[in-house]
Amino acid sequence: MSKYIIRRLLSLIPTMFIIVTLSFFLIRFAPGGPFSSEKKVPEQVLQNLMRKYHMDEPMGKQYLRYLGDVLRGDFGPSFRYRDSTVNELIADSLPNSIVLGSFALFCATLAGIGVGIISSLKQNRWQDYTAMSIAVVGISVPLFVIGPVLQLAFAMKLHWFPLSGWITGRDGLKAMVLPALTLSFPYFAYIARLSRASLLEVLRSDYVRTARAKGLPERVVIVKHVLKGGLLPIVSYLGPAFSGIITGSIVVESVFAIPGVGRIFVQSALNRDYTLIMGEVIVYSLILVAMNFIVDIVYGFLDPRIAYK
Amino acid sequence: MSRKISKTVNEFNQQLKPISLWADAWKRLRRNRMALISLWIVVIYAIIAVAAPILPFFDYRIQNLDHTNLPPSLRPAGQLAIEKLESQIAVLKERVGSGMDTLKPDLERAEQELAVAKDELISNPENRKVYIFGTDNLGRDMLAKTIYGARISMLVGFIGTLTAVLVGVILGAISGYVGGWLDNLLMRFVDIMYGLPYMLIVIILMAMFRKEGQSSIVILFVGIALVSWLTIARVVRGQIISLKNSEFVEAARSMGAGPGRIIFRHLLPNALGVIIVFTSLSLPSFIMNESFLSFLGMGVSAPLSSWGSLVSEGANTMELYPWQLLAPAIEMTIFLFCMNFLGDGLRDALDPQSKNRT
Repeated sequence: MSKYIIRRLLSLIPTMFIIVTLSFFLIRFAPGGPFSSEKKVPEQVLQNLMRKYHMDEPMGKQYLRYLGDVLRGDFGPSFRYRDSTVNELIADSLPNSIVLGSFALFCATLAGIGVGIISSLKQNRWQDYTAMSIAVVGISVPLFVIGPVLQLAFAMKLHWFPLSGWITGRDGLKAMVLPALTLSFPYFAYIARLSRASLLEVLRSDYVRTARAKGLPERVVIVKHVLKGGLLPIVSYLGPAFSGIITGSIVVESVFAIPGVGRIFVQSALNRDYTLIMGEVIVYSLILVAMNFIVDIVYGFLDPRIAYK
Repeated sequence: MSRKISKTVNEFNQQLKPISLWADAWKRLRRNRMALISLWIVVIYAIIAVAAPILPFFDYRIQNLDHTNLPPSLRPAGQLAIEKLESQIAVLKERVGSGMDTLKPDLERAEQELAVAKDELISNPENRKVYIFGTDNLGRDMLAKTIYGARISMLVGFIGTLTAVLVGVILGAISGYVGGWLDNLLMRFVDIMYGLPYMLIVIILMAMFRKEGQSSIVILFVGIALVSWLTIARVVRGQIISLKNSEFVEAARSMGAGPGRIIFRHLLPNALGVIIVFTSLSLPSFIMNESFLSFLGMGVSAPLSSWGSLVSEGANTMELYPWQLLAPAIEMTIFLFCMNFLGDGLRDALDPQSKNRT
């Protein structure tokens, strides 16, 4: 087991290395630069800027310098927001994104599993059909449609929630309802479908029949036997779901004007803020890779049939 | 040989017509009413999108500044424009009456416009137009605009899926059939690509390489096609590996069939069901990804429009003119909804034993 964990941890290194290298050269070889879109800068100033950010050095040297900095945990100064470093910008925005993302994922998992249980127990009855129709809608409707439509209905017409923005403290919860709802909807739908399918399979399995034959009350059969085995696939879906939440947060943060990593990411890509884009890609990938890793390990603990080789 | 070869006999000595996989699947699909309705709706969308230039829709480029921001209605545009002006005048009159004299010129101008509009109501054929989805801020027909957006979105989805299937099937089949180091290399590559935060890379690609005012649809295709083939390659590889040591492949090989013939004539037809299911489920996800990028302003650019960019435009004006958001949003949602239902139906029909049902 510990051998497996160590091997998995080591295999994260090449993945991260490829991500860093690929995005570094993708960004550097693109036409235009971080200073090209501004008003015409005098030649001397431009040269000074280039020197300050080490842009006048050969590409290979810049790359090695950047790798060294990243290994020391330093993402460098931002090209666009001159007063702050990338580390500061990410430290400011990441907590907001994490709060929103984990809240959304938590709601999606809870509601999805609940609906999945009801659907599978009432298979082919109206509860099942209603729930699964809603789930297909959830999978079909893009986030950027749900977001504005919810804004239109609940913020502009009914005035139940604020239109957009991000407030810390008690009122913040109210401002977070719409974005979290938007972000969680597709994952809620997917988890509901997934848990329904896997619970149905478990309900027909031999060990559940045995449990019923023993005369156990239905409640005990469901809670102790069916749910234990039937909810395992949800755990392995949480890894991909997390990566979906990350990309989803880009849209949701743009729609609801939330100062998170996703919004900065789009802006920095359009601004060609090289260091900021790189920093964001690295942070995002680290979270993603770490989540997949944790999910795999947790899955191994939960399912004794998985053998680590 | 007295018995016809096309008849088979079951254990009760009844003669049966053999049912092919496809006939069987079609029978199952036909029983699934939602999937069938979805199939028809998708067909209608496809016909409208392909034949839009010869169908009697308005031109999406025609602007009519007398007909800006009209709500969806079945009544002629001239009538709606007059009503809009009348309500505008009523508001202005009230404000002028309560002492806001600066608005007087606006009121006079609106009254003149109203007089002109009433004059032209019958004479101008433009006023007899009916905009069932309303118009946008330049007086363009929303229906024509959303149909044009649908053409782009569906084209992107179609080409993306086609690339994914072609590349994925070929690489997956070769990888599974040849095996060994080639298989190892390809699958490690697929693993690493899976680990990449794909959308982020596509966003960088789009933001960096597109030029302002130039159609960036080619880069969009590259970006979407870059990773789209991964899943299908894995699935096809798995199918090929499970089949490549079976008797019928052995038989084909003993009769002198080369690897190309074995892969394309004997192995791939057995994976066709999976490929079709994947295709039908990945089309909506491509359309969603394209719209996602267009919504962020990184997909198709200005002269072109897709569902995503229409929704993004509509979201800016949704407080006053909600139909500009709802028309493309609903149209797109119905299409994606039907594609997903159709994909589910196809999977149930072609692969009834499927373990990956969700």
